[in-house]
Amino acid sequence: MITTSSKLFYGIGGVAFAAAIVWMIANNGGSGAVALVFVATASIFLGAIASYVRDGHVLSTDTEQHDSAPAAQRGSGRSWFPLGTALSLGTVIVGLVTSPGIFKVGVALLLAMLGEWLIQNWSDRASSDPSYNERVRGRVVHPLEIPIAGALLLAIIVLSSSRIFLALSKNAGAIVFSIIGILVLFFGSVLSIRRGTSVRFVGAVCGVVLLSLSVVGVVLALDGEREQLTEAAEEDHFAHRACGVEAEYSDKHAVRAVSAKSSVAATVTLKDGALYAEMDGYSGPLTSITLQRSLNSSIIFQNEDEGEHRMVVTYGKVVESLGGGVEREALLQACTSLVTKGGQQGVVVNIPKPSFSSTEGFSITVPGLEGASVEVLVP
Amino acid sequence: MKKMFNQVGESMKSARRWHGAAKAAIAVSALSFLASCAKDAPQDTWQPAGPNAEKIDNLQRPVFYVAGVVGVIVFAAVAWAMYRYRDRGQAIPEQTHGKPALEIVLTVIPVLILLGVAVPTAGTIFELAKTSDTEMTINVTGQQWWWEYDYPASGSNIEEFGITAPIVTSGQLVIPENTKVLLRVTSRDVIHSYWIPKLNGKKDSVPGRVHLLRMEGSQPGIYAGQCTEFCGLSHSYMRMEAVVLSRADYDKWVANELEEYTAPAAGTEAAVGESLFIQQCSRCHQVNGLANSDGSLIISAPDQYLVSGAAPNLTNLMTRNTFAGASWDLLTPECRNNVWNADSADFGERYLAGVSSDCLNQKDLREWLRNSPAKKPMYADPTKLEASDGKYRGMPALGLTEDQINSIIAYLLERK
Repeated sequence: MITTSSKLFYGIGGVAFAAAIVWMIANNGGSGAVALVFVATASIFLGAIASYVRDGHVLSTDTEQHDSAPAAQRGSGRSWFPLGTALSLGTVIVGLVTSPGIFKVGVALLLAMLGEWLIQNWSDRASSDPSYNERVRGRVVHPLEIPIAGALLLAIIVLSSSRIFLALSKNAGAIVFSIIGILVLFFGSVLSIRRGTSVRFVGAVCGVVLLSLSVVGVVLALDGEREQLTEAAEEDHFAHRACGVEAEYSDKHAVRAVSAKSSVAATVTLKDGALYAEMDGYSGPLTSITLQRSLNSSIIFQNEDEGEHRMVVTYGKVVESLGGGVEREALLQACTSLVTKGGQQGVVVNIPKPSFSSTEGFSITVPGLEGASVEVLVP
Repeated sequence: MKKMFNQVGESMKSARRWHGAAKAAIAVSALSFLASCAKDAPQDTWQPAGPNAEKIDNLQRPVFYVAGVVGVIVFAAVAWAMYRYRDRGQAIPEQTHGKPALEIVLTVIPVLILLGVAVPTAGTIFELAKTSDTEMTINVTGQQWWWEYDYPASGSNIEEFGITAPIVTSGQLVIPENTKVLLRVTSRDVIHSYWIPKLNGKKDSVPGRVHLLRMEGSQPGIYAGQCTEFCGLSHSYMRMEAVVLSRADYDKWVANELEEYTAPAAGTEAAVGESLFIQQCSRCHQVNGLANSDGSLIISAPDQYLVSGAAPNLTNLMTRNTFAGASWDLLTPECRNNVWNADSADFGERYLAGVSSDCLNQKDLREWLRNSPAKKPMYADPTKLEASDGKYRGMPALGLTEDQINSIIAYLLERK
């Protein structure tokens, strides 16, 4: 018997099968046709099931089932998923005209909402027992919902905290989060003593704190980072770059990454106006170092002299186009920022050419100090 | 009667199964035993050829013997218990729990054995990690799928060994006899692991890190090794050899490596090969001193074509005995045996003779030049390089004709 829902599946199957034939003719086979044949097969299979169970309808003569059959049960009636789906759809549309990131978030939300809605509808009619239906839904979606919700919660806390940190001054950030830490500790201690505190109260407090954190985070994110960070970002001093104007906001006591300091190719020291290098595997100071070609090499510069100095690694020349057919030769260089006495800075250089390719050779120097130089050899 | 026949049948099946298992066990044991008798085993960890490997050997032998004795005792005890107390339908014996004296003894004995192993192990680890007494430094850089060695012109390398300019080579690490060499091991792409079993243990080569490894050979010879960290498609082809030369021979090797480039005589096939090399090979392979017709030096740019940013320097290719990551010999089997089987006194002279046209392994080198990715898989399909931004992970097929191959081989034969 061809029932109402089986007609739908048979129809989809027929259209998919026809589309597969058209695809094969138009594209000379291909994976698209295979996919369409799969769709047709699956639809016809579902149609056959719908026919077999007669759409799950209760017979009109079985009057007892009219009220007790699963299909006759009312849904939970308080589903947020239609609203969520609508908002997700709105996000998708906004993303289409603004940015791909928002569009992708919208698509992810839309798929999640549709999935939840689908499972909600299925579980509401899984049996005539609402509590069983709720348990069935939980078994299906909780393994996904709980970890995702946990990750989102953590993301909100981390993102909001980081926005607050970046907006406040360094000292204020330390003070604010010390106070927050103390409050969390105090609240936790009170809870451990007052064992009768209701779960609802604890949940409400946590919710209020989370909401406050999020709101403050959003407000400060919109307000922007603190002035020094904004200007430092504009100076782009975070990136290693060719030597130019000294960055005003550079951190002259930067620790740098542990990995860069734990596996350095060479440590170059300025002391008493002279420059020397030290490398693992060599005893004593070196005035000539060999670096491998096409290999990231970390070089640490430490200043033991009075005043601020910087290290410059020069490794050849490059021809730059200035437009209009005008070209000029520029030095290939990597620099540290200015380093005060006792300070350290590191640079990572990757030298793709051997040192004999340059008539001047490669070197490490300190601008302004005549004779402070270490030869760099690249085989 | 039927029941009796069934019982007999079952017992015969059981006996057949037992005999099958016994035969398999005997076969595996015999094969393992025979494998240990292999003569041509260049990576045998039980034959140390240097002080560092000897330190490891001095540790592993007693540990192996102790572990062997313990293993035999345990297996014998288990076998005896299985046989002695096999199920014969007897009643289950009385079960007892807790024998403090026995438990203490069975705890103390393993602790003492482990302490006996741990103390010399810690000592050996510290001895092998020592770097302050090394006399020479060599950079070892792994990449898919070959090893580069460069000898820095710094410190004692200049003062003691006359390396006045950096030397760069590949495939074969050449070191002087009875010299404490320090290898600075790193990688340009993925993690590899450097291992010459007869000279020392393994050391991982990790991008962005420099790991130190001591190396010392007690007598002249060639010692084989291979990468021991899975590093991609041709991991099994990433081999290496360490060549130990007497001090006098080593000085000759250094002097040869530092010699100026000699161009082929005009009008020879090698001269044709040089121009072909410039067109086809010099984009990635550096030959120091090779120049354009206007006299400007040719500088290779492997960083533009290869993921690792490096290709083997071929300046003195024919002083080495191997090519393509030491995967194949440059010498014919006869000439190779002549070098590998030489005694210590003759080894240096035979090795330093390099590869002559009579001794060149034409077959493998020609196959390599015809279609290298077919010989050593290297992700070299130009249509599938999107993931690597158009860069290869090895040498692509160059589509050379046989005449071009002849000319390039003639040119390469002069690179020594």
